[in-house]
This record gives sequence, structure tokens and C-alpha cells, in this order.
Amino acid sequence: MVLIIGGAYQGKLDFAKSTFDLKPADIFTCTGGEIDFSRRCIDHIEEFTYACARSGVDAVAYFQSHREQWRDSILICRDISAGVVPMGADMRSWRQMNGLTCRYLSGEAARVSRIFCGLEERLK
Amino acid sequence: MTVFLSGGAKNGKSTLAQQLAVKLSGEGKRYYVATMIPTDEEDYDRIRRHVADRAGLGFETVECEKNMLSCLDRADKNGTFLVDSATALLQNALFPREKNYELDLEGAKRCADELIAFLGAVKHAVVVSDYIYADAQRYDEITELYRKSLAGIDRCLAAACDTVIEVTAGNPIVYKGVLPL
Repeated sequence: MVLIIGGAYQGKLDFAKSTFDLKPADIFTCTGGEIDFSRRCIDHIEEFTYACARSGVDAVAYFQSHREQWRDSILICRDISAGVVPMGADMRSWRQMNGLTCRYLSGEAARVSRIFCGLEERLK
Repeated sequence: MTVFLSGGAKNGKSTLAQQLAVKLSGEGKRYYVATMIPTDEEDYDRIRRHVADRAGLGFETVECEKNMLSCLDRADKNGTFLVDSATALLQNALFPREKNYELDLEGAKRCADELIAFLGAVKHAVVVSDYIYADAQRYDEITELYRKSLAGIDRCLAAACDTVIEVTAGNPIVYKGVLPL
């Protein structure tokens, strides 16, 4: 599995498309608490963790229970860890869940890339 | 040579940018391109702090709140230009003073095009931006548009510049090219 992380609008998906020759049909865009792991690339995992945080679901446990399905996938998640502690409990819970998810996926990944202004920094 | 430099607030971006501009300019002219339109006492305080920081470094200040190429009417293109910052230039372009600060949707693209043209016209330039993309917030539409637009400009600058650096706690992380120090 390849994990691609970075701040908003940094070009994570563009990097994934050009590096792994992805077609639109290869990409699943998270919008809620379910992921279609049949696609090669899962984008916007931070929207999945947001839905999990709001509904009290453990995102890490979800990934662990579907491990066989994403072992060869390209996973993309926004880094939301670097601001002031959010005022809202929902946002704090989201930030925590997203951070724990990135750490878990990072540990499992064969390659971790951080994208900064469209450029790759290889972390693993 | 052109350098693009970004990072979080108070990480030392301006200080490093000044060092780079001084180094690149050698014996040549060095210009500080002042981009911010001050609107309150806090802005004037920030300007005073930055002026004090630059004191003795030999920068000539060129005020240019928009259309970067226009500052070449008042400066030698063979000099070295410190542009601080893309963030302020975007703000001026997206919410133009002459239109009573109302949103101008064409502003972001114009700002990016002008910056790229400027980089192509001058001998040396160091451009500073702000990394505002990694917090856990869900912003209103206008703020999100501003973030997205600045990221678009950042990516254009990063693609065009010889060297791309992120500054964190005063330390440079080089993503592209070499650090000319």
C-alpha cells in the first residue's frame, strides 16, 4: 500500500494520477462512513474520518477489519494536524481520529509520500 | 535564480528569505517588494518590525500591491527581488481595494500569471508564501476559495522556481533544487 499525505490543495491526487497512471474509474472519493475498496485509489480519507468522528465509529478499527482489501491500494489523506486545537468537540475528535488513522496507515504502508506544493517528499 | 519559500507562521520564512536575497544579489541591487496594504495599527506594527529586521541589509523598498511586472518601472530587472508575500498579493488581487474589497474571481489567476511573468523577467527573486493547509477546520466558502487560490499560486511558483523550500522552526527543507547559501 502507498499512503499519500499532505495539506489541502497540495496536489496529492494529481501526484497519484501521474505516478500510478490512475484513471477516473480507479478512484473512490470518500464522502461518508463507507469506502469502496474495489477501487485502486481511495481519496479524501479525511472525509471518511470526519464521518467516523461524527458517528462515533473507530476509523482505525474499520481499516484493520478491511486490511486484505487495501493492502495493494493507493490511499490519500489530508493532513489536518497543524492548526490550533479546534473549539468544537466534533472537530477535535476528527483531528484525533484522522491523526491516528494516518499513523496506523503509515505503519502499514510500503511507501509514504508527503506532497508539498505539488512536489514529493518521500517519508518511507 | 528563483526561489520559492513557504511554511507556517513565525517559522523564520522572512529571515531566511532575506539571507537568500542578500546572498544571491552579491554586489548587485537588492529590492524588497512591499506587497501588503496596511489597514490598521497591527499592520503598521508588522511593517515596522519587518523594516527593522531588514535594516542594514541594503534593501531598497519598492511598493507593489499588485501587477508584479509594474515594479520593474521603478527597479532594475538585473537586481535581486525579495517578494514577501504571495499571500498578500493574492489578497490584494482577490479583494481589490479599488472595488471596495469585493471578491474578484479573476484575481487569483491574474495574480499567478503576473508572478510567473515577473519571475521570468528578473535576474534573481525570492518569493515567500504561507502554508495554511493543514488545520482541522471547515471554513466558509470565501475562506476556502482563498486557501484553494493560494495553493494554486504556490504550486505554479513551485513548478516555475529553481529552488523550493519549506521552512520549519527556522530550518529549511529543500524539495527542489539547491539552497543557495
